[in-house]
Amino acid sequence: MAFYEQHIHPKPTNFLSKYIISYDHKVIGKQFLWYGIFFLFVGGLMALMIRWTLAYPGEAFPIIGSFLFPETGGAVPPDTYAMLFTMHGTIMIFYAITPILIGAFGNFCIPLMIGARDMAFPLLNMLSFHVAVLSAVILMGSLFTPLGAAAGGWTSYPTLSTLIGSPGMGQTLWTLAIFILGVSSTMGAVNYITTIITLRAPGMGYFDMPLTIWGLGLTAVLNAIFLPVLGAGCLLLIFDRVFGTTFFLAGAAATSGTGDPVLFQHVFWIFGHPEVYILILPAWGIVSDLLSFFARKPAFGAKATALSMTTITILSTLVYGHHMFTTQMSPLLTQTFMTLTMTISIPSAIFFANWLGTIWKGSIRFTSPMLFSLGVVFVFGLGGLTGLYLGTVTTDLFLHDTYFVVGHFHYTMAASVLLGGLGAVYFWMPKMFGTIMNEWWAKVHFWITMVGLNIVFMGMLLIGYAGMHRRIFNPFVYEFTQKLIPLNELTTWGAIIMGFAQIIFVINFVHAVFFKKEKASDNPWEVGTLEWTIPSPAPHYNFDKIPVVKCGPHEFGNPNLTGDRDFQYQTEELA
Amino acid sequence: MLSTILLSPAVSTATQKMGFFEMIAPPEDISVHGNKIDWLFNYTTSMNVFFFVLVCIGLFGFSYLYHKKRHPKALYTYGNTKTQIAVATGIGIAVFFGIDLNITRISNNDYVEVFTNWPKADEDVVKVEVMAQQWAWNFRYAGKDGLFNTEDDVTTLNDLRVPAGKKVVFQMISKDVIHSLYFPNARRKVDAIPGRLTRMWYELTKPGIYDIACAEMCGTYHYRMAAKLTVYTQEEYDRWVEQSQNLAMQTNDPERPDAFWGWPWQ
Repeated sequence: MAFYEQHIHPKPTNFLSKYIISYDHKVIGKQFLWYGIFFLFVGGLMALMIRWTLAYPGEAFPIIGSFLFPETGGAVPPDTYAMLFTMHGTIMIFYAITPILIGAFGNFCIPLMIGARDMAFPLLNMLSFHVAVLSAVILMGSLFTPLGAAAGGWTSYPTLSTLIGSPGMGQTLWTLAIFILGVSSTMGAVNYITTIITLRAPGMGYFDMPLTIWGLGLTAVLNAIFLPVLGAGCLLLIFDRVFGTTFFLAGAAATSGTGDPVLFQHVFWIFGHPEVYILILPAWGIVSDLLSFFARKPAFGAKATALSMTTITILSTLVYGHHMFTTQMSPLLTQTFMTLTMTISIPSAIFFANWLGTIWKGSIRFTSPMLFSLGVVFVFGLGGLTGLYLGTVTTDLFLHDTYFVVGHFHYTMAASVLLGGLGAVYFWMPKMFGTIMNEWWAKVHFWITMVGLNIVFMGMLLIGYAGMHRRIFNPFVYEFTQKLIPLNELTTWGAIIMGFAQIIFVINFVHAVFFKKEKASDNPWEVGTLEWTIPSPAPHYNFDKIPVVKCGPHEFGNPNLTGDRDFQYQTEELA
Repeated sequence: MLSTILLSPAVSTATQKMGFFEMIAPPEDISVHGNKIDWLFNYTTSMNVFFFVLVCIGLFGFSYLYHKKRHPKALYTYGNTKTQIAVATGIGIAVFFGIDLNITRISNNDYVEVFTNWPKADEDVVKVEVMAQQWAWNFRYAGKDGLFNTEDDVTTLNDLRVPAGKKVVFQMISKDVIHSLYFPNARRKVDAIPGRLTRMWYELTKPGIYDIACAEMCGTYHYRMAAKLTVYTQEEYDRWVEQSQNLAMQTNDPERPDAFWGWPWQ
């Protein structure tokens, strides 16, 4: 089905062409993986500082606090606190999750799993990473500007994000960085879509693709449509800040003419709500595949799962207004958005049922990728159900902008995506780096992470239900939050547990990548998709002969298997 | 680690005696309609618990039953038999009709019949104009003449006083950035936005002093943008209005242009 001849790139000869300016999608995937892990560390450290401040406001942050904030003796000052949560959100969403799930696994998995030698546009792919680096440099540079980094929240609502609320250079650089990152992600998205459409191996119909590819492809579609919208919003914001236009300024804030700050919220959330699905769809796809792989059973209702994900992709574009109930939209819009939001639960419930159907009567192997996938089912269940409170307008009037929202979106975006991403790292490790990570430590990592993250995010939900609002430096200036001090401390300790558990992962990962002598076999997990038909690690040309696909990706225990294995490679015909 | 939390000095105050459920209870509801929000929350919670328990039974039950030690051979099925499709679709429909449509209907009814059911023009209500600014709340009451933005208006800073048992209607705007007027005890919040008026109404029941907060990130001192809500009985309120109107007549300076930040009631 490939539309055109795919050439084999010349083998890279020196360090520069192999690791820095490589056209190879696998190398670009690894670059994105390191990039993402680095920012996961930065964002995580910021999260710990935020949590520390919420539990012990005004107390010195342990160990590195006195080095980072010498003027306060190590305690996080209020303005820095605002920068921390702004940068934490930005970094985690755009510079950690997006590169790992979409940049790393999108690049790595798409050509390998559909039987292609590379992406459709290798040069564009390389540029996409380099542009992302440029964006990261600008963002990190903004931390060192005179008035500090952006501090208006990751949503950067005007007029707080205009010169009225944040006069420094930091906010301009933040907006520019997001714009540039949008360019990078759009380049990636166009590439992914084209690759999936044109480079599937002969014989591979859309429903023969692994669900991972479905998830990544749908994400790419959303990215290609909605990142330009965010880009437009960012550009207008830059105009307001630099050239004195008044797109988003109103009232006394506007010296001439008048715009509307709420306009930015519309533009932002038209992108922002799909963004949630942009982040979660790859994880859903990966989890749907991994559950099937390790239950040794075809993905239950694979077609229905794929179509449900497609339906959610479409619906996700129609519901953004539920982020803006408190801006007092017209009641008709409010009711419409509320009802549309609720319809998302039909496809969600169907593929949730399919996940459980996949492990039903399976023969489950509890490997580390499987544990992480089951973890996703658990935390996404919590995340999805807590969304209902925020979708109904009346409960949202109370819960909007409280920690309940924070808990909810951390369950859906942080917990699910993090667990899905880690599961994917453990799973594709052999194909990426040729070694397998230590299983025992991987399981220890899973359980500690799971305990830690549930303490943190459940704590946030409870704190929010008790009324504590978001983005406040010292929650205990109010009477109604006084009683929440112990719960905030517990939540912080959950975050510390979760943070320290990641050291296990980093050591395991670095050891497997650089120091482990023992090589992984070509197919350690005994899975039939195309990437497991080639050697580990994958050679730079992927497939010496373009494979011909003869069966689906999940043929486990099919009575018509031809080999003595319990699975069928996609290149083998069923009897 | 847990013992550190439980024994840390900050905890060993009065809060330690508080039970867990008491701690996570939302602030005391002092409004006539806050219970609708609480009721819907609890209703959704019971539905969610039901469905999440089902998910957990599936997740943990299947994980136990179909561990490869206990169940060495997986069943080969694509989940495309009629029964299986019916079950999956049934779950989807059950969730949608069981939870979603239900809570949407209830929420919609409350929204239409209560929260956006504005008091009629001739109703006797307390009207308050609010102007938010970094980082304070300005409140304005029409003075003796009953008109806003005139010389005799009563203005307060971070100090809102309203009577119990009477509807209070707010119109608000922001001077600089977006703020959000948040009454934890009434379960309500509405954004104050530069350049457009937003409105809210509620009726309170219980006299006392409560917190008002800003719920929308509005800058460095967002966390300290607090105000106090004093709920009076009608008699106390009338006395306070009388006093402060008289005080306003004596002290308001009509020459000060910045005293006229209000607007005609709309």
